[in-house]
Amino acid sequence: MSDLDRAIEQLRACRLIPESQVRELCYKARELLIEEGNVVSVDAPVTICGDIHGQFHDLMELFRVGGDVPDTNYLFMGDFVDRGFYSLESFLLLLCLKVRYPDRITLIRGNHESRQITTVYGFYDECIRKYGSANVWRYCCEVFDYLALGAIVLGASSELEPTGPPIVNETQSSMPLDDDELETEVLNSRGEVTMSTYRPRNRSSSDSSDTSRNISPPRDISAAPGQTAGAPLRAGAPGTGASSDGNGSATTTRTGAVLCVHGGLSPLIDSVDKIRLIDRKQEVPHEGAMCDLLWSDPDEIEGWGLSPRGAGFLFGGDIVKQFNHLNGLSLVARAHQLVMEGYKEMFDGGIVTVWSAPNYCYRCGNVAAILELGEDTSNGGTIARSNGEYGRSNGVLGSNAATTVVSPGRRYRVFEAAAQDTRGMPAKKPVADYFL
Amino acid sequence: MNTDGRSLRILPKLNPQAPPNFITPGKKIHESHDVSTFLVSKAYMDIMTFLLQLNRSMFPSKLPNGKFQDWPLHSDAVQFSAPVRQLQGLLGRVEDIITEVPPDSGPRRFGNISFRKWHQVLTDRASELLREFLPADLLEMRSPNSEHPSAEVELKAYFLGSWGSGQRLDYGTGHELSFLAFLGAIWKLGGFPQSADGVEERAIVLGVIEPYLELVRTLIKTYTLEPAGSHGVWGLDDHSFLPYIFGSAQLSPAIHEADLTPEEGSLPGAPDPGDVVKPSCVEKERKVNLYFSAIGFIYDVKKGPFWEHSPMLYDISGIRTGWGKINKGMVKMYNAEVLSKFPVVQHLPFGALFSWDRDPNAVTPVASVHSTSGPQTRSVQPENEAPSTTVRPNTDASTRAPWASTEANPPSRARPTVALAGSRHEPPSFTSTLPNTSRLPPGPMAPTRAPQAPTMRRSPPGGDGPTKAPWAK
Repeated sequence: MSDLDRAIEQLRACRLIPESQVRELCYKARELLIEEGNVVSVDAPVTICGDIHGQFHDLMELFRVGGDVPDTNYLFMGDFVDRGFYSLESFLLLLCLKVRYPDRITLIRGNHESRQITTVYGFYDECIRKYGSANVWRYCCEVFDYLALGAIVLGASSELEPTGPPIVNETQSSMPLDDDELETEVLNSRGEVTMSTYRPRNRSSSDSSDTSRNISPPRDISAAPGQTAGAPLRAGAPGTGASSDGNGSATTTRTGAVLCVHGGLSPLIDSVDKIRLIDRKQEVPHEGAMCDLLWSDPDEIEGWGLSPRGAGFLFGGDIVKQFNHLNGLSLVARAHQLVMEGYKEMFDGGIVTVWSAPNYCYRCGNVAAILELGEDTSNGGTIARSNGEYGRSNGVLGSNAATTVVSPGRRYRVFEAAAQDTRGMPAKKPVADYFL
Repeated sequence: MNTDGRSLRILPKLNPQAPPNFITPGKKIHESHDVSTFLVSKAYMDIMTFLLQLNRSMFPSKLPNGKFQDWPLHSDAVQFSAPVRQLQGLLGRVEDIITEVPPDSGPRRFGNISFRKWHQVLTDRASELLREFLPADLLEMRSPNSEHPSAEVELKAYFLGSWGSGQRLDYGTGHELSFLAFLGAIWKLGGFPQSADGVEERAIVLGVIEPYLELVRTLIKTYTLEPAGSHGVWGLDDHSFLPYIFGSAQLSPAIHEADLTPEEGSLPGAPDPGDVVKPSCVEKERKVNLYFSAIGFIYDVKKGPFWEHSPMLYDISGIRTGWGKINKGMVKMYNAEVLSKFPVVQHLPFGALFSWDRDPNAVTPVASVHSTSGPQTRSVQPENEAPSTTVRPNTDASTRAPWASTEANPPSRARPTVALAGSRHEPPSFTSTLPNTSRLPPGPMAPTRAPQAPTMRRSPPGGDGPTKAPWAK
C-alpha cells in the first residue's frame, strides 16, 4: 500500500495526516493542477457536487449515495472549506483522491478557496487549532490558487435510463407516453425514485414542446420558427467547437454541453473561451471576471444586478439564455447558494444550483443533492474534443440560426445529514487567550 | 465602595436641567481604522461602563448571615421598577407584531421574507410605541432654546437597531449591542430610578434583557433569521453574546458590595461548566440561568454533537477555575470580538447620548493595531505570512459582510489582553493593548458576503444594474 493510499485510508476514517505529508500532498496536487486549463473538459458520466463546507461526515454520506471514488466520476464545484468542523479532513481527502485518481475527480475553485475568506470564515482557525501553526493553512492556500475555475461536461446523454417506478405517484411527476424519454429523476438516499419528468422523443425543432427548450435569446426576433428547420446545425460534441455536420444529416437536436462553475456568470465573460484567457494562479481578486465566476448568483431579474454579497453580480434568465445559446450549452451547473431542496433549476432549466451540505451549519434543515449526468452511448461513446477552439462555429451558424439544444438527462440524488451517533466526544482543547 | 477606596464606576446620568443638543445619531465608523477612534470615544466608555455595571449586578450577593443571595431568572428577590415594567410592555407589543405578520409559507432559501414586513411594521410604529411606554419628559427632553430635536430621535435609533436586518434577514451581536445602547440611553436620560448595590441593574438584566433575548429567539425561529456574520462552528454563538456574560456572572462567587469582582471560582452549588454537554442539565439550568438559556437555544436549533457545532463553547466548558474565570474571559472577548470588530460596530450610530467625541481619559491604543483593519483596496494575505499564530476565538458578530464595507484582514499577533476595565474599578477606557479584532464576521450561513468594498465598485454592463437588483445597496 502506497503512502497515498494509506493517507486516503486515514482521512476516510476522519483522522488527519501529519503536516509533512500534507506538504508533500499539496506539492503533488499543485504539479497536477498546474497542467489543467482554467476550464477542465470532463466526459460524462459524471456526478456533479456543490458546497461541502467541511461537513466531512456528510461528504462520506455523499460518497455512499453517489458511489465511491474511483467507481464514480466526480466533479466538485468548490467551497470545500470554512464554517464546518472538518474542513481539513474534507479538503485533504478530496485532494488525496485527486492526486490518486486524477481522471476520476475534478475539483474547481469556490469563493471560499481563498486566503482572505478562510481567515474570516473558519478554515484558518481550524488549521491553527488542529495543527498548531498556520503551515497547513498556507499549503492549502497555495493549492487553492491552482484550482480550475470551471469545467465543461461533454457527452452527456439526453435521456436517463429509468431507475425504476416512482415510490410515490406525486402530482409533479409527469406520466410518460409510449415514446417519451426520461428527462429528470429525483432519488432519495435509499435509491428510490421520488419524482420523474419526461419529454417527447424524436421531436424536431419545429414542433418544440413544452418540455424542450429553445435556447435562442428571447430578443432574437430574427430567428423565426419557420426558418430554423432547415438551418445548418452543429452535430459535433457541444462545447467543443467541433462543429461540422458529422452525420451528414440535418440533426435537429443535440445534447448541449454543461458548464460547471462555482458562482455563476460574469458581465466580462461572454464566451467560455474568455474564461480560458484568465490568469488564474492567484488569490481570488475582489473584482473582475475571475471574481465574478466564483461569486455571482442567478436571480429573478433581467440583465445584471448588484450583488448584496459585495462581490460578483446578480444575473437574470435572459443572461443565462444568451450565454448558453452563444456557447452551445444546455445547462449551467453551479453551487454557492443554499437551497432547501438540495437542487434548484431556474430559467426553464437553463441553470441549476446544486448544494451538497445537508443541514447546513447544523441548523438549516435542508437536504443536499448531487447531480448525475449519464453518458450518451448512441454515438458509440466517442466524443469529439477540441480544447480552446470553442465557439469558432458562431460565424458559420449565422445570426438567424436558432439551435434547439436538448438538455441532458438529470438524475438528482437527494440525501440528508449523516447519522451522528457514531461520533465520540473528543478531549477539550485549550481555551482561547481570553480565558487564560 | 470598594476596599481600595475607589468607587465602582456607573454610567453617569445627564443633568436634566442642561441636556445636550440631541441629534439624529449618525454613522461614524466608515472604515476599519475608525474603530480605533471608537475605542477612545465617550460612547465606547459609556457602553463598556454600562455593560460592566450590569455584569457586576448579576454576581450573587453575600448576606450578613454568611449565606448568599443569587439572582436566577424569574427570581422573586428582584423587584421590577415601573420603567422596567413599561419596557416589558414595549417588548410585548413588539412581539405582537409577529402574529400580525406570519412567516411566508412559500418557497424560500433560508431567511423568511416576511421578516422584512415585520421590520417595516415595527419601523412605522416605533415612535408611537416609544411614546406609549417611555415617559414623555424623557422623550421630549431637549436643550432649551435650541433647534435640535428631542431625545426621542436618539432613543429611536438604538431601539430600531435592535431587531436584526430586514434587508439581510439576519440578526447578530451588532443588533444586541444596539439594544444595550437603547437601555444605556434611557439610563443616561434618568429613565431608571436611583438605587443602590445593583438593584435597578439586576431588574434591567432580568426584567428587560432576558425577555428581549427570548423575543429575539422567537424572531430567529419564526423567520429563520440567519446569523449576522457566522464563522460557522468557529464562533462563540451564531447570534448572541450578552447572555454568556450575564449568565456566567450569575454562577460566579458571591460578593459584598465592596468586593472586587471575582476573577475565578464559582458559587457553591453552581452547575459545572462541563454540564453544557448534558441535555438534561441544560434543560434544568436554562430556566434559571442566562448562560444556559443561550446554550439551550443552541440545542433547540442545532442538530449534531455539541462539541462539533459549538467547539468554542465546548472548550470553555472545560475551564476548571470556575464561572468567575469564564465571566472575565467573556467580557474580554466581548470587548475584542464585538466592540472592536469593524463589521459589528460599524452600524452603531453616534449622537449626543453616545458621543463620538474623544474621551479625555482614554489611552490611545497602539496605533498599528487597528490601522490595518480597514477597508482597503486590497488586503490579501502576504504570501508567506501567517495571519497569526495564536488561537483566535471569534465570535460571529457582524451584521455585515466580510469585505463588503470592510476588509478581511489578517488578525494581528497581538494577544487579546484588554483590561477588564470597570469590573476592576478602573475607568473602562484603557484599551491600550486591544487585539486586532478586525476579522470580519462573515456573512450568514447562507450567502457569503465579500469582505471588500461597501459600495459597488463598478456598474454592471447593461446600465440597469442598481435598479434591477432588489438587494443591492
